[in-house]
Amino acid sequence: MSAKILTFTLNGETTKVMVEPSDMLVDVLRDKLNLIGVKKGCGQGECGACTVIMNGEAVTSCIVPAMKAEGAVVETVEGIGGPGKYHPLQESFMDLGAIQCGFCTPGMIMSAKALLDQNEQPTREEIREAISGNICRCTGYVKIEEAVSAAAKQIKEGK
Amino acid sequence: MKKYNVVGHSVRRLDAAEKATGTAMFSTDFTLPGMLYGKVLRSPYAHAKIVNIDTTEAEKLPGVKAVTTYRNTPREIFNTSATMTFTVPALKPVLDQYIFDNVVRYVGDEVAAVAAVSEEIAEEALQLIKVEYEELPTVFDPLEAMKPEAPVIHADCGEGKNIPGEIIKIPVGDLKKGFEECDVIIEKRFLLPIVKQVQMETQAAVAQVGVDGKITVWSTTQTPHPTRMIIAKIFGVPNSKIRVLNPPYVGGGFGVRIGLSAKAEPIAVALAMQAGKPVKIVYSRKEDFIASDTRHGGYVTVKLGAKKDGTFHALDLRAALNGGAYCSFSTETPGVLGAMGLSVYRIPNQSYFGHSVYTNTTPAGAMRGFGNPQAMFPIESVVDMLAEELGMDPLELRLKNIMKVGDPWCLPYPCNSTGLAECIEKGAKSIGWERRGRLNQPGAKKLRGIGVGVGTHCSNSWPFCVDYDNAIVTVQQDGSIHLASGVPDIGTGTSTALPQLAAEVLGVKLEEVSLTFGDTLSTPFDIGSHASRTCYAAGTAVVAAAKDARKQLLEYAGDFLKVSPERLEIKDSLIYITGQELVGDCAGTGVCQSGEERKSVTLQELAYHAHLRNKQFIGVGRIVPENAPPWHAHFAEVEVDTETGQVKVIKVVAAHDVGKAINPIIVEGQIEGGVLQGVGYAVTEEIRYDAKGRQLHNSLHKYMLLTAEDVPEIEAILIEANEPSGPFGAKGVGEAGLVPTAGAISNAVYNATGLRFYDIPLTEEKVFKALKGDGPATY
Repeated sequence: MSAKILTFTLNGETTKVMVEPSDMLVDVLRDKLNLIGVKKGCGQGECGACTVIMNGEAVTSCIVPAMKAEGAVVETVEGIGGPGKYHPLQESFMDLGAIQCGFCTPGMIMSAKALLDQNEQPTREEIREAISGNICRCTGYVKIEEAVSAAAKQIKEGK
Repeated sequence: MKKYNVVGHSVRRLDAAEKATGTAMFSTDFTLPGMLYGKVLRSPYAHAKIVNIDTTEAEKLPGVKAVTTYRNTPREIFNTSATMTFTVPALKPVLDQYIFDNVVRYVGDEVAAVAAVSEEIAEEALQLIKVEYEELPTVFDPLEAMKPEAPVIHADCGEGKNIPGEIIKIPVGDLKKGFEECDVIIEKRFLLPIVKQVQMETQAAVAQVGVDGKITVWSTTQTPHPTRMIIAKIFGVPNSKIRVLNPPYVGGGFGVRIGLSAKAEPIAVALAMQAGKPVKIVYSRKEDFIASDTRHGGYVTVKLGAKKDGTFHALDLRAALNGGAYCSFSTETPGVLGAMGLSVYRIPNQSYFGHSVYTNTTPAGAMRGFGNPQAMFPIESVVDMLAEELGMDPLELRLKNIMKVGDPWCLPYPCNSTGLAECIEKGAKSIGWERRGRLNQPGAKKLRGIGVGVGTHCSNSWPFCVDYDNAIVTVQQDGSIHLASGVPDIGTGTSTALPQLAAEVLGVKLEEVSLTFGDTLSTPFDIGSHASRTCYAAGTAVVAAAKDARKQLLEYAGDFLKVSPERLEIKDSLIYITGQELVGDCAGTGVCQSGEERKSVTLQELAYHAHLRNKQFIGVGRIVPENAPPWHAHFAEVEVDTETGQVKVIKVVAAHDVGKAINPIIVEGQIEGGVLQGVGYAVTEEIRYDAKGRQLHNSLHKYMLLTAEDVPEIEAILIEANEPSGPFGAKGVGEAGLVPTAGAISNAVYNATGLRFYDIPLTEEKVFKALKGDGPATY
C-alpha cells in the first residue's frame, strides 16, 4: 500500500487529505488538518483525549488507522459549537466547573456527545460508562458527570 | 461575612471557552515553520557506564539534522527542580545532573537525542546509535542503598551513603523525657508506594534559537521564570536573552514540572542550537512514566506517646525516602514531610529526622502534597491506634490535641487561623459518624467502615525556599485593566482567580480585566505554581499591584472631582463621591458641560483624560508572601468485600478550611480532584520495579488510575476561617485534597475489618491475603 487521498466528511464538510498507510487518524486531524482540539495523551487508546465521533460512535482516534475513515462521517470538538451557538455540553462544562487543565475536555465532551446523540435520558451509570475511557486527572470526574447530566436535561428540554 | 462583587463568586473560568471548543493551545499543539522533531535515546540499564557511543550511522540518515550526546553538549551540572539549582542560603544546592552523562543511573536515563524532519526518522536514527555499556551494581531500596556494600550512585554525599543534601532534623522540647512521661506509646513503621502524577499532557518543549543567540522555549513548565534561570545556567546565556513561556495552557502538573519538564527543555535547546532550527520534543506516555519525576516512596516511622487522658506528649517521626537516581526535590520533600507532620497536633516534645536516599529508580520529585501525604497516612493511622488503646473516640482524641491559633509549633511563621475543629465537626455530621460500629450485620461478607484523617499544609514554600511574587496592573487608555503575573495556569484556575482579585480591588467588572501570564518576557519574576501558593502568594502580589493602581486613580480622580481621594469609591468602573446622590450626574453620559459640578467619573473618562495629559496609571506589586496553614478533615466510608479483598470507597467527605474561596466552584474542583488522587494513592496506584530496575507500571493500561466508574460520592465542604495574611482571607488549597485521604481510608478499612495496614495501596491482593489469615504485613 502507498499514500492515497482520503475522502471523508469532517465536521460537515467534504474533506480530502493525503495519508500514508501508517498514519493514525489523530495525526491526520492534528498535523495535516490543524484540529488541535483532538488531543494526544498516550497514543495507545488508553486515555481518551483524542476521542472523536466516527459514524456516530466515539472512537479513540490514535488507534484508528486514517484509511479506515474513508467515506466516514467524523466529528471533532471544533465542529459541534462555538461562540453564539455552543453545544449544550460545552455550555454545561463551562458553567459547572467541569474544566480544569482542559486537556481531557475535548475528548470528554465528544464521548459524552456520542452518548447523548443516542440516549436522551442517560442514567448516572450510563454517563459514567460512556466517559470511563476518558481519563481526567484534575476534576475527580464529579463536575464532569454533573455537566453531562445537565446537558442531557437541557437538550431534552430544548426539543 | 463581607459580600464582594467579584471575589467569592463562582464565575465561569476565563479559559473555559477556549478549552471547551478545542482552540486552547498547549505545548504539544505548538508548531513553528521549519520545526524539527526531537527524540531521546534512553538507557536500558539501571546503572551502567557508557564505554563507547557511536553516532556516525545516525548522523548519516537522511532527514537527521542534529545528534547530541554527553560529548557535544554543555558539561554544566544542574538540578531539574525550580528550587534546588538556586537554593536559599545557608542550604547548599545539590547539583547532580547533566543534560547527558557518561554514566546512566536508572532505566530511562538520557543517553543521546536526535532531531530530524519527522518523528519517524528521529526514532529510526535512535536505533542507529551504537552504545557500549559496562553494567554497574544496582540498588532499588532506600534502606539497602545506605548500607556500606551498596553501590555509590553519587559520590558527593556529606551526610551519609547515597544521601542527597542534608538530613532534615527538627527538634522540639525534650523527646526522651517526653516519652518517659507518657502513659501510652505506639510505634510503627510504614511503607509508602511510588506513585505518579499522570498529568494528562506529557512533558513537552519547543525550542527556538535565533541567529542573534536568543533562546525561546515554549514548554509545559509550572515555573517559567526559574526554568529560564536553569536554562541560562546550563547554556551560559544571560537570563535576558532567554524567554520561557507556556503557549499558554499546560495540561496539568501536580508538581511534575516545577522547574524543567523532566529534561524536555534543555534537550530541545541543545538540539535546536546544533540544528539551527526549532525543535519540538514531546515525551511519549511511557517516557513520561519512566523518565519524569515520581512521588517519593519509602519508609516512615511514627512513635507517638500520650497521657492517660489522651493528651499527646511526645512524637518521634522518621523518614527514609526513595529519592531515585537524581536529587530533584529529594531534600525539600522530606523537609515538608517533617514540618507538616509535626504541625497538626500540639505536642510539646517532638523530633523529626528525615532524608532521601539515592537508588537506581526513576528520580522522585514533587507531587501534589509534597511529602505531606507520606507523613499523614502513617500519623493518622497511629493516632487511631492510640485512640483505641486509650478507649477514646478518634474524633474526641483529635479535637483534644489539634493545633489552635497562637499555639507554639515548629514552623517559622505563626498559626494565624484554623478551622480544623469546624472541619471535623461538619465532616462528622455529613458522614454520619454516629453510625460507626453499627454498620454491619453479623456474618456479612461485605463489611462497611468509617474512618477519619486530618491534616494541614502550607500556602507557599517561604521561608524554606526562594519564594516571591511580582505583578503589574496597567490601566489602559480606555479604562480597562491589564494584569501581568508570571505564574502559569496549570489547570487550577489561576487565570480566572487573579483577575477576580484585581477586579475586586479596582472596583471593575471581571470582563474589564485581562491577564498575561506564564511568560518571562512580558511578566516580572514570579517563582511559579507550586506549594499551593498561586492564589495565596501571586494573589497577594496582584492585590498589592491593584491597590497601587487604585491609589493613583483615586488621587487623580480627587483632583478631577475636587475632593479628597479618601472620599472616593469605585464600583463598576465608576469613581464616585461616597455619601452623595448620584442621580443627575453627567458621568458617562458624554454630555457633561464644562463648569458643571461633578460627583463621579468613569474609569474610561479618567484614563483618557490622563492619557491626553501624558499619563498612565501603573500599579506594581512586589511581595514576599507570609505563609498560612490550610486545614482539612476527610471522612471515608468504605466497603470491604471479604471474599475478594476489594476495598470500595463509598463516600469521602472532605471538609477544608480554605480561608476564603475566591471562586468557590474552582475550589471545590481542586478538592474533588485531590480527593480522587488520594483515593488512588490509598487503594490502587503504585509503580513497582522488576529485578532489573524496569518499571512494571509504565502505561495508563498498567498503572491503575481510577476512572469515572470508580468515583465514590465526594462531598467538598468549604470552611472559611479568614486568614489575615492572605488575599481577601484566602489560603492554599491545591494540594490539600490529597493529604489526609489515605489515612481516612485505611482507618475506615480497620473499622470495617479490624485489619490495620502499614502499607498502601490497599489492593485486592493485599487485603485478600490479610483477610485469609496472613494478616497485614509489617515493616
